[in-house]
Amino acid sequence: MRDLALMVNGQSRSLRAKDNLLLLDLLRDGLEVRSVKAACWRGECGLCTVLLNGSLVKSCLVLAAEANGGEVTTVEGISEGEKLTPIQEAFVEHGATQCGFCTPAWVLTTHELLKANPNPSEKEVEEAVGGLLCRCGTYNEIREAVADASKAYAKARKSIVQRAR
Amino acid sequence: MSFGSPYVTLPDFTYHRPTTIEEVLKILKEHGDEAKVMGGGVGLLAFMKERLMSPSHVIDIKGVKELGGADYVPGRGLRIGASVTIAELCQNDLIQDKFTVLHEALSRVADQMIRGRATLVGNLCEAIPWVDSPPALISLDATVEVVGPGGRRKVPVASFIKGPVDIDLGPEEMVASVEVPDVSGMRSTFEKFTSGSEFSLASIAVTLQSQGRKRTARVVYGAVNSTPVRCQEVEQVLEQETSRASIRRAADTAADKVECMSDVLASSDYRKHLVKVVTTKALGRLLQK
Repeated sequence: MRDLALMVNGQSRSLRAKDNLLLLDLLRDGLEVRSVKAACWRGECGLCTVLLNGSLVKSCLVLAAEANGGEVTTVEGISEGEKLTPIQEAFVEHGATQCGFCTPAWVLTTHELLKANPNPSEKEVEEAVGGLLCRCGTYNEIREAVADASKAYAKARKSIVQRAR
Repeated sequence: MSFGSPYVTLPDFTYHRPTTIEEVLKILKEHGDEAKVMGGGVGLLAFMKERLMSPSHVIDIKGVKELGGADYVPGRGLRIGASVTIAELCQNDLIQDKFTVLHEALSRVADQMIRGRATLVGNLCEAIPWVDSPPALISLDATVEVVGPGGRRKVPVASFIKGPVDIDLGPEEMVASVEVPDVSGMRSTFEKFTSGSEFSLASIAVTLQSQGRKRTARVVYGAVNSTPVRCQEVEQVLEQETSRASIRRAADTAADKVECMSDVLASSDYRKHLVKVVTTKALGRLLQK
């Protein structure tokens, strides 16, 4: 057993866990962050994707011990309370959330993509989300939602640039 | 209190996070086969979940400073530390410009999240027939730097991979880095064929170096047999001629000479066909550059 301490969505959390615990299981079962979904446990579906120290990782392929002292962000960490973010709005608008199981991973990954590149090409979108699976097969709707959300991000960036001038 | 998935668990082990190579070697010496070195962990943890491996000690090397970083020294070449991720290497402009074949192979490994964790050395040490980096490294004459109780030794990547999931590494040894010799005037490219997933059914790594009138080619196929296959007959075609007509000749020669295996993914006949396809695509791109 080992004492772990980490920041999860800006809050400091600590718990005692075995060395063989996965980050995925630490988040879901240890800390009850249930937006992080568990489906394949083998790094194929990507639905357990979280940000670990600023990088997107599949949390089923990371040991909880590796995150000790680190910072984890899940979809809750990028949300704006009750108000939907432009990405969430676009996902709803385009019906890209059929069963909703994969949605947190898509929203988080899209957020990271658009933060770095507010105006991605179709190929860049495919590349960024290539590690995620939706079993309803709503890929077209997701593509449309990402394209729509990117407009909001590009606009936000433009206004930030203008304000800075 | 205990928690964790009721479906997929890891076997019990002790996690180590050393900060020096000496410490890693000490743990390896103490526990031998019972200890496994973990870089990114994407391969090791997957193997452990399947109970293909159940080490009682896992040594995470991400805290070892000496194993990070990719350094290029003109005339000497490129040295890539064992904990450098594939994503870091994909973002390296020098690798993209100078060792294009490696950049192209690494950019097609799995997906963004996996590349952010997985290391080049881990990819190499898995020695799974369809992984992407070994053909590229062999085409670049790369060597593996192994450290162990007996000191340091260097092994060409081509002989480091002894068979599927079988590498030239003792239980008390670890891989410190991969070294790619420097080259000038080299063109290179990588191509792979996949079906339904990112797993390759056939891949090719080609390097073409001109020095005056002399031309040296290296052509290595991946995923077609249990270890990467170098094809000297295709290399000879390219060393003689690099016209458009030679592309067809090289592709036919490859389909004739490259030994392909049959398995659950594809028959040997189908792989032979794919060898022709990837050769044509790769050379088409390379010779138009």
